[in-house]
Amino acid sequence: MSTDDTELKETTNLEPTDEASADKKPTENDEELENKEQQPQAGASNTAIEAKSKIDVLLKPAGDAPIMKKKRWAVERNKRVSWISEFIKKYLKLDQKESMFLYVQQSFAPSPDTEIGTVFDCFGSDGKLVVHYCRTQAWG
Amino acid sequence: MKHINMAEDREIMREIWDGRIPVCFSIYLEDLESEEPESVYLMMPRLSYFPLVTEKIQKHFIKYVSSEKQGEMWLEYEGQPLKWHYPIGLLFDLFACKDNLPWSVTVHFQNFPEEDLIHCSSKEAVESHYISTVKEADTLKHRGQVINSMQKRDHKQLWSGLLHEKFDQFWSVNKKLMESSGEDMFKSIPFRLYFSERPYVQQLFRPVNAEGYSQTLRDLLMEVVPSLWNEDKTFSRTVVIHGVEPSLDMPLLWMSEHLSYPDNYLHFCILDKPKVEKG
Repeated sequence: MSTDDTELKETTNLEPTDEASADKKPTENDEELENKEQQPQAGASNTAIEAKSKIDVLLKPAGDAPIMKKKRWAVERNKRVSWISEFIKKYLKLDQKESMFLYVQQSFAPSPDTEIGTVFDCFGSDGKLVVHYCRTQAWG
Repeated sequence: MKHINMAEDREIMREIWDGRIPVCFSIYLEDLESEEPESVYLMMPRLSYFPLVTEKIQKHFIKYVSSEKQGEMWLEYEGQPLKWHYPIGLLFDLFACKDNLPWSVTVHFQNFPEEDLIHCSSKEAVESHYISTVKEADTLKHRGQVINSMQKRDHKQLWSGLLHEKFDQFWSVNKKLMESSGEDMFKSIPFRLYFSERPYVQQLFRPVNAEGYSQTLRDLLMEVVPSLWNEDKTFSRTVVIHGVEPSLDMPLLWMSEHLSYPDNYLHFCILDKPKVEKG
């Protein structure tokens, strides 16, 4: 496995989740988040950007995608959506050339260059972001 | 603020739809085989995406590039790779709106900037990106209920209206997505703030505040980017959308309904103020 994996830390507290509403609540279980420093904020504020620099991402397979043994990961806010799909491929030992589609709220595919923190701010719920991954287009 | 009448609203939407930018396309000289082809001048629709309107450009320039150098075409302006999945008008406002016209865009066939750009395999890739962004916007406005209750042919009509620049065809479907009365009142306003130096900012923002008042563009900027306000309550930057600086007192709901890009997002550029403002 590559050195990238050191940037992902499995979080504790694996619990079943449902992805119902777009309402977000601050999360409490951030013992893994030793790195509290903020990403560079040239001009932009950090009022709505919570003090933590990592967010909980729950990865769920869709279609015929293989299941990941570890589903819940703490990901730095400023990582891109594309970074998550590369990570999943690496974790599942898939060919890097293979397609990997990510979906939020089982509905839309966020643009690959969007920051995960931004996706979380708008579409996270219960302190985490649920992302479905799929090898083919699942939700057109 | 009283609502402007419907006919005037429609005129504004039509003006925005018809917005064009003169662009001068030139090939990157190092990609060239021998003779230098002439630049191509075209009027580009602000609301469209480059891959939908640059087929001619690709065909024109590729003839001058030797076959082993013919990679995927990508565009650049003053060292800035241009993201094909951003509307053309947004790219222009963000990087070039203070410069002279026509907008001089450089065409490349080699050294694809993997870090900055996503590959664009076909127009279908643009379509799928576009529909996905509309879904994302409707998730914010109506919890996705409007877009998901539509049929596939409605999605196709929306897309083909944009692709073929057919205003009436596009709006006959888009008006359902823009429905904001009663039960369909927007939960959040789909917006993004773009900066030339950092990734865009997007947050949840309600059209009406806790006291029941309509929120304005000023309210949004005060909440989302408080550090960009001066002590005298003036905004330290310039906000641009569709090439104009909107009044900060505009109600955001009205803006969302009438000034959104076809992907249903308000894409605001946050630019530095021109330095020559005070003499």
